[in-house]
Amino acid sequence: MERSIFARNPSVPIFIGVLTLLALGVTVMSEAYGTGAISVSFTKVLGMTLCLCLAALAMDLVWGYCGILSLGHFAFFGLGGYGIGMWLMTARTEDVVRANLMGGVIPPTEAEVSDATAAQIFSVVGATDWPWMWAASGSLVLSLLLVVLVPGVLALVFGWLAFRSRVTGVYLSILTQAMTLALSLYLFQNDTGLRGNNGLSGLQNIPGLDTVGQDRISIWFFWASAAALGLAYVGAVWLVSGKFGNIIRGIRDDEQRVRFLGYRVEAYKLFVFTLSGVICGIAGALYYPQAGIVNPDEIAPIASIYLAVWVAIGGRGRLYGAVIGAAAVSLLSTYFTGGRAPDIDLGIYTIEWVDWWPVLLGLGFVLVTLFAPKGLGGLVDYIVRKDRA
Amino acid sequence: MIRRFIVVLAVALLALGHGPRALAQDAGTGLQALLQVEADLVANASRQTVQQVLDRLIASDLPEVPGFLTRWAAREVYQRQSDGLFVYVADPDADPLVLVDIVTGAEIGTATSREVAQLRPNRGVQTVIASALVAFQLGAEDPAERLAALAAIDNAPEESHLALLRDLLATESDPDVIELAEVLLPKLVIAFDTDDADRVAAIESLAGNVSLVARATLNPLLAVTSGVGVALPEVGNLARVLEPGSDIDEVAAYAMLVEAGLAPARISRAEQRDILAAHVVEGRVGGVPVAQLDTDAARDRAYAALVAEGLALPAPTEADVTAALDAHVFYEVYREASVAVTDAARDTLEGIDMRVGAYRVLDLSLDGLSLASIYFLAAIGLAITFGVMGVINMAHGEFIMIGAYTGYVVQTIVPDYTLSIAIAIPLAFAVTFAGGVAMERLVIRWLYHRPLETLLATFGISIALQQIVRQIFGTQARPLTPPDWLAGSVAINDVVSISSIRIAIFLLGVIFFVLLWLVLNRTRLGLEVRAVTQNPAMAASMGINPDRINMLTFGLGSGIAGIAGVAIGLFAQVVPDLGSNYIVQSFMTVVVGGVGNIFGTLIGAGMIGGLQKFIEWLNPTNTLAAQTYMILFVILFIQFRPRGIIALRGRAAGD
Repeated sequence: MERSIFARNPSVPIFIGVLTLLALGVTVMSEAYGTGAISVSFTKVLGMTLCLCLAALAMDLVWGYCGILSLGHFAFFGLGGYGIGMWLMTARTEDVVRANLMGGVIPPTEAEVSDATAAQIFSVVGATDWPWMWAASGSLVLSLLLVVLVPGVLALVFGWLAFRSRVTGVYLSILTQAMTLALSLYLFQNDTGLRGNNGLSGLQNIPGLDTVGQDRISIWFFWASAAALGLAYVGAVWLVSGKFGNIIRGIRDDEQRVRFLGYRVEAYKLFVFTLSGVICGIAGALYYPQAGIVNPDEIAPIASIYLAVWVAIGGRGRLYGAVIGAAAVSLLSTYFTGGRAPDIDLGIYTIEWVDWWPVLLGLGFVLVTLFAPKGLGGLVDYIVRKDRA
Repeated sequence: MIRRFIVVLAVALLALGHGPRALAQDAGTGLQALLQVEADLVANASRQTVQQVLDRLIASDLPEVPGFLTRWAAREVYQRQSDGLFVYVADPDADPLVLVDIVTGAEIGTATSREVAQLRPNRGVQTVIASALVAFQLGAEDPAERLAALAAIDNAPEESHLALLRDLLATESDPDVIELAEVLLPKLVIAFDTDDADRVAAIESLAGNVSLVARATLNPLLAVTSGVGVALPEVGNLARVLEPGSDIDEVAAYAMLVEAGLAPARISRAEQRDILAAHVVEGRVGGVPVAQLDTDAARDRAYAALVAEGLALPAPTEADVTAALDAHVFYEVYREASVAVTDAARDTLEGIDMRVGAYRVLDLSLDGLSLASIYFLAAIGLAITFGVMGVINMAHGEFIMIGAYTGYVVQTIVPDYTLSIAIAIPLAFAVTFAGGVAMERLVIRWLYHRPLETLLATFGISIALQQIVRQIFGTQARPLTPPDWLAGSVAINDVVSISSIRIAIFLLGVIFFVLLWLVLNRTRLGLEVRAVTQNPAMAASMGINPDRINMLTFGLGSGIAGIAGVAIGLFAQVVPDLGSNYIVQSFMTVVVGGVGNIFGTLIGAGMIGGLQKFIEWLNPTNTLAAQTYMILFVILFIQFRPRGIIALRGRAAGD
């Protein structure tokens, strides 16, 4: 079975190979384990990019294979970040607070540590008590469970409601966009217990690893991101290459016909939607400790639209396409908006990339949509066909 | 007329009565002598001491007193440093100053500005003087002066004013003065009258009056002080008995007991820790090693040991607290002594509150209507491009934004706001119409069979347009100023008011709706648009050019977005991401209303706007929450009516 997947999907060994080479290369050039040619911050950028690729992979499953254009997948991504962020922030703050209180004459009780931690975390929103949704924040295991469960349950409930009443096409897109807008507006409020527009911060400090420098932590997260992406890729290829894959592709191309063939279309759609929500949640949980901060802005509708655009540019319906699209666009964006790109001096006007990159990007979307509906992945088709010819 | 005659007569009598005496006195006696008695209090008057001076002056009945008080309050009185004489000056800017006698008005010499000190009563003193002057001013000939006197009463009412006001109302003829006096009278009666029947009558006269003044008059009557004791007080106007746990929380109730000295204070965990920390002896507190004091139980043991040694006060246990709470009564007593008055005030306020509530509902409905018309304006262009043509135009918000910036640019060229808005509206339509046509020709027409990809392409256009506008105009908000006649608001009473600009937007929405309905249903173009959207192939075979119709329809939708942009820019800030704030709501409005007809959009906007205001009313402090719940409601609503409120049936529904 294993052989047949690899045989039918030559992209898997290539993908895993490239990913391994990348991981090895980054490790060898990292500050912690190698020459130091790649800075800590750039290692983080690469690790974060891999997480975005993972989210794009999930998006491709749901859009490219199942035909559901969700414009709200970053809600799941952000929720994953909030899930792990609550634990990171609690554990870290608790360590600091405990060390502080230990300095007093009398050792603190557990209740005092807990109260002081809450006061420390929530003082920015003028609160001192633990909100109910932080109940699991004391335990890493429970928090990891949250990372999977919260996006999963949200996707399940939302998907069940939407698919049950046969909301499809653009209506579903608008509905998912409304969902992520509602969530981000909800999180923007100060009294909802997630620190309002301040979000959760200081997430790059991993509790218990105070003595380990950011140089090593960044590499570890890079490895974790790469491993997650590799696993998810193999899993996704396995999922879409069997009978299941045929059915969801059928749903994409003609939902009615698949339904008339006796398949429970809603159940398939719900499974894919929920699975991709969970993958997005995991990607977010890996992304935000590298970014260091998660706030409601991340969940704003525009982020989810970008996710769809990456997949479109990379090429829908081919998993490596989504990964290539996400990596290419997000790395280029980082390059051009990070001030690294040289400005072009035209004599009368200097083109500053920071300003003009969004214009170029926007027009790029238009051109790709119009002239290369298969995206960058279409290029691969072209090369492969030429090889065979 | 009669009133005036009486005033003249009174003045004449005053002059007769006092004139000879005043004439008989020197410039240094009379008013001046009176002032010199307390020269220091006059020169350095404070709010507390000035009343004493005023009482003496008014009691003297001297005719110069009103004039002097007016000029004193206006800071026109000076004191000569050499002999402490109070004087006026002929011209405060002249140098040297010409001094004028405060009684005779004769010039009595000159002085440099250093030789005299200007009396500068502060605002508090000025208020007290003004209120003392009221008695004189109410008798003045000029109605304006009487009105000013009433305003002074309103500012600082006093018991003596009540009688003055009643006298005034008996003789007054000027309608403005009567009106203001009648508003003031109940306020003074309630505050100062000694007869409870009169006060109750005055309270009842305010029944149904929703003005802020009436409510501010009644509310203080119901002010309470809370108290605690073993039994209810014998005297006093009892408001209610407070039940610990329901009317007042137990912690607060116990705090009241502690404050009244009826129970020992509780020791909080933090206080306990501090006390323990203060009694560390050789690493132990009360025999418990310090290192073990990290649980509440260990701390309680250590504290009990300290209490046993007499080093700390015993803390009341929960049982003690409950017993103490049970043994005492908590109550509220009205500051107002008369039961009849508080009962009347409570009943009247209840009636007023009910009426205010009804007006609030009206105000809320107006707010909802105005929000609905904004959503409608933002969404109506989309109702055509998305609703009728089925094109998902993510750049719709940017057309709104461009319309607003067109208005801004026109205003920088044409300074007259009315004229510039009149130019901006058609110009915004022209600009965005052209933009829409260009976009349809270049991009959208290639994607009619791929609706989801239209979404991505137009999203690309949207971020490019936003960035270009940001390049040209910068990120800071640009002003789009409404003309003066739109700047105010229409207030029906103190509860209900609506700004003119919102009325204008509502009217604009109505006009748009009617025009668009007429265009789509009563013109050749509308017929062709509907034909092409229902079945392009059939329409083409009937001689309609679908390309041209699609182009014009898309242009029309975009042009309307431009006009909406001018309207929205008048009250919102004109920034490059103005449009993206409206895009999701606009789509939701169209989807909720039902795709394919503008009537649905109207109802959708009404529902979303009304609902959002209603949720805001339930929780007025939090507009973000209102938006969140409104969106959640929309998501749920779509589950039950996936095709919106007005669903097209049959062939028109497409699919």
